[in-house]
Amino acid sequence: MKFRNFRYLVVEGLKNIWTNRLMSIASVGVLVACMLLMGAAVLLSVNVERVLSTLQDQNVIMVYTADDTSEADAMIAMQQIQQLSNVQSVDFVSKEEGVESLIQDMGEEYADLFEFVDEGGEKGSFLPYGIRVSFVDLAQYDQTIEQIRAVEHVDHINDSRELTMQIINMRNLVTTAGVCIVGLLFITALVIIANTIKITMHNRKLEISIMKAVGATNNFIRLPFVIEGIVLGIIAAALTTGLLYGVYRLVVAQLQRVMSLQAVPFGSVVWWLFGLFCLMGVVTGCIGSVISIGKYLRKEGSEFRAF
Amino acid sequence: MESGQPLIEFKGVTKTYQKGTHALNDVNIKIYKGEFVFVVGKSGAGKSTFIKLIMREETPNAGEIFVNGYELSHMRRKDIPYLRRTMGIVFQDFRVIPTMNVFDNVAFTLRVVGASQREIRRKVSHALSMVGLGNKARSYPMELSGGEQQRVGLARALVNNPTLIIADEPTGNVDPNMSYEIVELLTEINRRGTTVVMVTHEHQLVRDFNRRVVMLENGRVVADNSEGAM
Repeated sequence: MKFRNFRYLVVEGLKNIWTNRLMSIASVGVLVACMLLMGAAVLLSVNVERVLSTLQDQNVIMVYTADDTSEADAMIAMQQIQQLSNVQSVDFVSKEEGVESLIQDMGEEYADLFEFVDEGGEKGSFLPYGIRVSFVDLAQYDQTIEQIRAVEHVDHINDSRELTMQIINMRNLVTTAGVCIVGLLFITALVIIANTIKITMHNRKLEISIMKAVGATNNFIRLPFVIEGIVLGIIAAALTTGLLYGVYRLVVAQLQRVMSLQAVPFGSVVWWLFGLFCLMGVVTGCIGSVISIGKYLRKEGSEFRAF
Repeated sequence: MESGQPLIEFKGVTKTYQKGTHALNDVNIKIYKGEFVFVVGKSGAGKSTFIKLIMREETPNAGEIFVNGYELSHMRRKDIPYLRRTMGIVFQDFRVIPTMNVFDNVAFTLRVVGASQREIRRKVSHALSMVGLGNKARSYPMELSGGEQQRVGLARALVNNPTLIIADEPTGNVDPNMSYEIVELLTEINRRGTTVVMVTHEHQLVRDFNRRVVMLENGRVVADNSEGAM
């Protein structure tokens, strides 16, 4: 195909979008809705993955003493733990430091609450003593935990493994649900795009029949419709990326008000997401237009009467 | 006139549609370069099928068809556009695109073959002046009369200098005066060397223009006079 032909057909494709602007808006709307859900699933997945890797990288656990343990007994317990073969280092967390860390996690606005609880006692009197323990080898995790449990005055261990397992389960669920949702949405988007182009084509069947009669090749007829599909897909991809950015910022800000969350910055995934959306848009646009034009290309010219 | 290879040749062509309609039955016709041929017959005589077979919209059940050097019975689908570029087609219903102005309607044929903008301007202007629409290039079809719309169709058919023009009842939707103008234009185009095959059921026109007439009846050629009135 000659370049000037290609240029003419691209312009024709763009004109189609404008001529059928209502249907174009409907197609872009549906595509955006599909892509938004897909993007939400991807972002959720990326964040869950990040939390998981953070947790898995941590070979640190918190050991807490029983409520009535004195500071001296807690120090003895710490020394016993330090002597265990798989323990790399220990760190004592006083009640005061415990409160500070709590306030840091919950926010300064709750500091008053702790002062009220501490009334009449030393700061953090209601908290147990903590011992931060880091391991040499995570493979011996279970045995070491058992050994720590056996140490006198140790009450409970903040074991992140259970949380890790829960998050892994959640990730698997998110991935499976995400794949199913994306699959269904992809088919929906395909049908909608194919329908939009079918309507365009129905409106232009006379033109197509004349094109065939004057010797246009199938590619010449097909290209504007493929361009139309692709451009609709790219518009939807750009809109979705923008919308997702806004929604993501809002959701992360809301979540960070109630929990400590190190969300994946949108900037680090934006191009990847935009690429994914474009790919989805281009694929749906291409397949949609090829599906819907097939019927008209099989006709040979004068089947459609002008009046 | 009958010298060399025919431009169109039907050899024992039979066409039966899937519904069982026998449209053409053992038709043998030769049309030579430079001829002007009227194809006449009642409704259902096989005129439209004759045109569709020449355009390779349909294929025969039996026989062979040669048009402009192409053998149509065994033609590959991807070659059909190239066959059609050698002919210009005029339809009864004009088939002008209502959203395009006159210029673009005619330029359409040249865009399909990838002509340059300069070539398009030159050839479209020439074709429009030939059909007497030089001053209506920017008009839209709805601003034109039926006869003018058909002249746009004619300009579109001849803009790419085809060797053959197929006109399928070109006067069917225009008033009698305009019918004569259309056929006169086709005659003029023929005079410049283009072969014209015109399907019609207007016997008066056929008599007045005194050209070769092929008469179809029930899918058979029942009369074929060369250069003479019926």
